[in-house]
Amino acid sequence: MSATAVTDRPGRSEHTGEWAVETHGLVKRFGQNVAVDGVELLVPRGCAFGYLGPNGAGKTTLIRVLLGLTHADAGTMSLLGHPVPRARATALARVGAIVDEPRFHGHLTGRQNLKILAAAREPAAMGRIDPSLERVGMLQRADDKVSKYSMGMRQRLGVAACLLGDPQLLILDEPMNGLDPAGMQGMRAMILSLVEEGRTVVLSSHLLDEVERTCDAVAIVDRGHIIRQGPIAELLQGASLALEVDCSDPDRARAVLASSPLSPTIEMRPQGISLTLPAGTSRDVIAEVNRLLVESGILVYRLQEIQASLESWFLSVTSRLGESE
Amino acid sequence: MTAAQSVATAPNVEVATDHRGSWFPTPAMIGTRLMELRKRRGIMITILVVVVGLPAVFLGIRLILHATDPKSYGPAGGADIFTNLVAGPMNVFGFIVAALLGCTAGSSDLSDGMFRHLVVTGRSRVALYFARIPAGLTIIVSAVAAGFAIICLVCSFAAPTTVNYDGVNIPHGLSLSGFETWAGEHPVDVLCSFNTNGPPPVNVNCGGPGQGFKGGPSGPTGQPPTAAQLKAAAINVAAHFNNYEEYSVLFLAPSLTLMVGSGLWLELVAIVGFIVGLGLSSLLGQRTVSVIILIVLEIVLTPILATARIPYMTNVQRAIVGIATDHLEPNGLARVFGSGNGPNARSNLLPEQTFVAVIVVVAWLVGWTAIGAWRMSKRDA
Repeated sequence: MSATAVTDRPGRSEHTGEWAVETHGLVKRFGQNVAVDGVELLVPRGCAFGYLGPNGAGKTTLIRVLLGLTHADAGTMSLLGHPVPRARATALARVGAIVDEPRFHGHLTGRQNLKILAAAREPAAMGRIDPSLERVGMLQRADDKVSKYSMGMRQRLGVAACLLGDPQLLILDEPMNGLDPAGMQGMRAMILSLVEEGRTVVLSSHLLDEVERTCDAVAIVDRGHIIRQGPIAELLQGASLALEVDCSDPDRARAVLASSPLSPTIEMRPQGISLTLPAGTSRDVIAEVNRLLVESGILVYRLQEIQASLESWFLSVTSRLGESE
Repeated sequence: MTAAQSVATAPNVEVATDHRGSWFPTPAMIGTRLMELRKRRGIMITILVVVVGLPAVFLGIRLILHATDPKSYGPAGGADIFTNLVAGPMNVFGFIVAALLGCTAGSSDLSDGMFRHLVVTGRSRVALYFARIPAGLTIIVSAVAAGFAIICLVCSFAAPTTVNYDGVNIPHGLSLSGFETWAGEHPVDVLCSFNTNGPPPVNVNCGGPGQGFKGGPSGPTGQPPTAAQLKAAAINVAAHFNNYEEYSVLFLAPSLTLMVGSGLWLELVAIVGFIVGLGLSSLLGQRTVSVIILIVLEIVLTPILATARIPYMTNVQRAIVGIATDHLEPNGLARVFGSGNGPNARSNLLPEQTFVAVIVVVAWLVGWTAIGAWRMSKRDA
């Protein structure tokens, strides 16, 4: 997916700037600790963008800086083409966000909490309260006190609060927290529908599977740095090639392949062997492995390419980082 | 597209005209903030109980007692009750509950996690802060007004028919000559109860028959004074030692001027309590500590510093808002921590010029508003 492709979607004639989120050299320090360290982030418009990183990587801090919840120590940033913090009011007018666990006034109902938030936005926001509640499935419980809500209901109320401002950009920090499987499925469907409407959704999550199923592009952050970013499909192309081979003589197969020019990493399995080939290896190698084994008189029962997942790629990237230190 | 999905499809033209970066809150922001505070049941009950309930119950009991046994229990109202209620509980508790409300308004968004939701709207943080002021003042000013109205009604319509001066019931509105005439007719009351700057000028039996004489030295003969001597001494006492001056400012019922002035003064005290509480809790980011600080200020530090004479600290003492509002108290009100009502009521109070007191109060209002707004605009959400 390219940035150009997503900006060509309908309904964005009013947008200014190519990127929904753009940061350059963004730095945020807490004393000696650099939580955000020179972050260069480009989030294309109209896509679901995953923002991944291990605990303490600086994900939430970056979101807080973007939203003006805390100030940046250095660097520049813009939301929806508007420089922040200079044009913060204009930029945030069409941004909805959940940061950390969504919390509200517990002594008020969900609807009353949304009224407070709508009052801080444009007058039309008051008219969006009921549709927003309906969209997140909270209309029936809107007049219950928030103190009686479950975690998942507060999450959904948080999303409803995001929708009050007619957002072109939604920034959701761990929106799946507290949701049951049905709730997660509903949240996933809603995120996809928001993207279909031309909005941009930035999804910060540690649930890699959810991100892979929901997002078009991701950025990986670790220790304040963005170490990879781009469309998921393109990133996974850079992952190593893994094969599983079930054969009649695994030991001899291992010897044959180890002495071949392919130089794979080989692991023994109960029914066969696993091969890992370096990133960028052509898929023609699969046929070459088959040829070498058959010509050596080894019967090949199964030869399967293992698709790299975002999780395996994420772990490989972060583990490499760990080894390098 | 369903109705729900139509959320966020409106054109983006309103944003440019809603003055989101302005420091001025919108009526909707003030209205919802008022709702948020009004729905806090515990605080609303506390405010109503303290500011409305206490005077209502106190005066209600006095009304019932007087109605059932008027000989034993005096009238429920009157100027004396008015001044002591206004300068006492209404003043002190009005400040404290106003501070409690201000501290709640200043910290509830932070403690409830709503502050970041509000900041993300792009609305000016200063406007978010300023929205709390009219909302909170609407509540506390209304509550104080309701409690004060009850006091005014009872004290005006259930007032006594005589004034009570130094424990003696005297007809109201006497001229100096009338006062002297009345004193001549009640010499024992005057000589035993009125201020004489020392012992009574003549021997007088204040304890009743068989209980001996009390007061000044016996005459040269050791005989009790004659009725004419008692009368002359009583007239002399009534005319001197500030007795008539103090009597002449006593009223059966509070005057309209005193009621208006007292009402405005009580509202000023409540407004100061709310604004200071709002600013302090916004600065500290929490309610409990702020409330404790303001209660200590109001009921411990202010009474001590209002009367203490601390070398080199006099101007610091004058800068305390409670002392300044004490100086702005209407004439005719009793000082809660002073020496009662009357012309000498302020004799123990640290001297302070009225315009200095006004400046101190304004400085506290403006200063704490600025501090709270500044902290709000700089605070990490």
